[in-house]
Amino acid sequence: MTGDALLEIRGLKVGFPTPEGLVRASDTVDLEIYPRETLGLIGETGSGKTVLGMAILRLLQPNTIIEGEIRYRGRDLLSLPEAEMQRVRGREIGIVLQNSGTSLNPVYTVGTQIAEAVILHQGLSGPDARQRAVELLDAVGIPDPVRMAGEYPHRFSGGMRERALIATALACRPNLLIADEPTKGLDAVTKRGIVDLFSEIDRDHSVLFITHDIETAGDLATRVAVMYAGEIVEIGGAEEVLGDPAHPYTRGLLASLPERGMQPIPGSAPSLITLPSGCRFSPRCGCAVENCSREHPGLVEVGSGHYARCMLYD
Amino acid sequence: MHKKIVLAASLGIVFAYCAVALLAPVIAPYDPHAITGAPLSPPDRDHLLGTNDLAQDIFSGLIWGTRATLLLGFVGAAIAVTVGTAAGIVSGYYGGLIDEAVMRLLDVAMTIPIFPLLLILTTFFRPGIYLIAVLMGLLGSFQGVRLIRSQVLSLAVADFVVGTRALGAGDGYIMARHILPGVLPLAGVKFVTSAQHFMLIGIGLGFLGITDPSVVDWGQMINRASQNGAMILGLWWWLIPPGLAVTLISLALAWLGYACEDEINPRLRVMRV
Repeated sequence: MTGDALLEIRGLKVGFPTPEGLVRASDTVDLEIYPRETLGLIGETGSGKTVLGMAILRLLQPNTIIEGEIRYRGRDLLSLPEAEMQRVRGREIGIVLQNSGTSLNPVYTVGTQIAEAVILHQGLSGPDARQRAVELLDAVGIPDPVRMAGEYPHRFSGGMRERALIATALACRPNLLIADEPTKGLDAVTKRGIVDLFSEIDRDHSVLFITHDIETAGDLATRVAVMYAGEIVEIGGAEEVLGDPAHPYTRGLLASLPERGMQPIPGSAPSLITLPSGCRFSPRCGCAVENCSREHPGLVEVGSGHYARCMLYD
Repeated sequence: MHKKIVLAASLGIVFAYCAVALLAPVIAPYDPHAITGAPLSPPDRDHLLGTNDLAQDIFSGLIWGTRATLLLGFVGAAIAVTVGTAAGIVSGYYGGLIDEAVMRLLDVAMTIPIFPLLLILTTFFRPGIYLIAVLMGLLGSFQGVRLIRSQVLSLAVADFVVGTRALGAGDGYIMARHILPGVLPLAGVKFVTSAQHFMLIGIGLGFLGITDPSVVDWGQMINRASQNGAMILGLWWWLIPPGLAVTLISLALAWLGYACEDEINPRLRVMRV
């Protein structure tokens, strides 16, 4: 099942040099995204989810150290010249960045900004691009799209901005959509609306849905990957991973949900500069044995297409 | 309310000066170089501000002199702001080695005092008034680069800039469409304050007698008046009018600059009452 992946990440390492040392935001990540699937990427804040999404489109600061391979339809995005990368961004792979509140330029109308993508890639003229922007706003469920296309971002509510950003990312019909916490900071009803929108989108697009909201991931994702301290600790079908979690960390995450007893995982996530030896979760793990702090476990198949990074299954 | 009056008054003065400069041939009764009667005559009906030692009409000189001053100020400022904004955006946006190189060059450049350098250049090359304006603009653009760069540094990492890059936009597009609008207000203020600065420098050069001698300007008028004893002889109509003209436009531009600054930076409002 490796040949037909739309996006294939191999041994991706992302590091940020800082005066305190190298921050290893992503460490040897392997991941595939198949056509028309929604992969939910879940993990705590600071586990490296956003960095992974940004690294795919090479949107990180120039001094970031990136190693490994990111193959999109056979081409390694990491070695693509910048000019070609610009043709991939927006057209082949769209991204909805975090912080929808500040991701729109306050000096242009929302319609103008959605039209930008169309003008950049499809060479449409002003009025045609504008028309396309209105259609897109309509498609993502903005009421009265003709009028709203002419409004400035500050007139949009949080949920509407999120929708506008999704419209922008979808403007050139990319094959893959990366959505970075699109439900962050939204109330329950608005969130529901966005989740419904994504369940429509993922019929036509592959989606990498980055979230710390396990429920949302469960609703949308066909497969789920769990990240902890820059590593993928568990990956598999959504039902298997969330229904029968193999890794103690995933189990801990589920147990911390309000409806499952709200038991937090003891301790806090490690610093990405000084990572614990052996299994990175071992200092917080209830099942840790002596060997856990000495050996770094690899991903072990625990079911069909279901892998966990834990000594318990060695 | 008080602020609006100041803004309106300063805008009014600037526009009036522009109108005078444009309509100089219509307003001025005489050719400013022409000999028009008795030398050193006090103001009367024929000569609103009297005549100088060469029997040239001072009022006409004052009107024609507006052109030289405004031209030096506005052309100089336009060049300074354009160069400063372009360099500031490139430096702040790309950062890294480019930024480092631009900043270190500026450190050196800013140690050179503009006025003495202009003095030397104009004394040696005797350039025309346009070339003086260009020289002023280039030499006066250094501060602007820093000002604009500091603003660009924060804009370059804004989420909407990353978002635009994620849409497949190149650097040129991002700088022109998403960075430039953010620094335009600042560039506008810089334009007004630079214009004032350059006008004063122009007057200074004229006073020292090293500007374009074919152009009438207030600096040269003041120079001539003071050299020929206007002060001692009490010939106020010769010395005072060009001085007042300079003071008024300079004040108007300063007020305008402050008013614009207040408008784009609300935090300053409390400080400057």
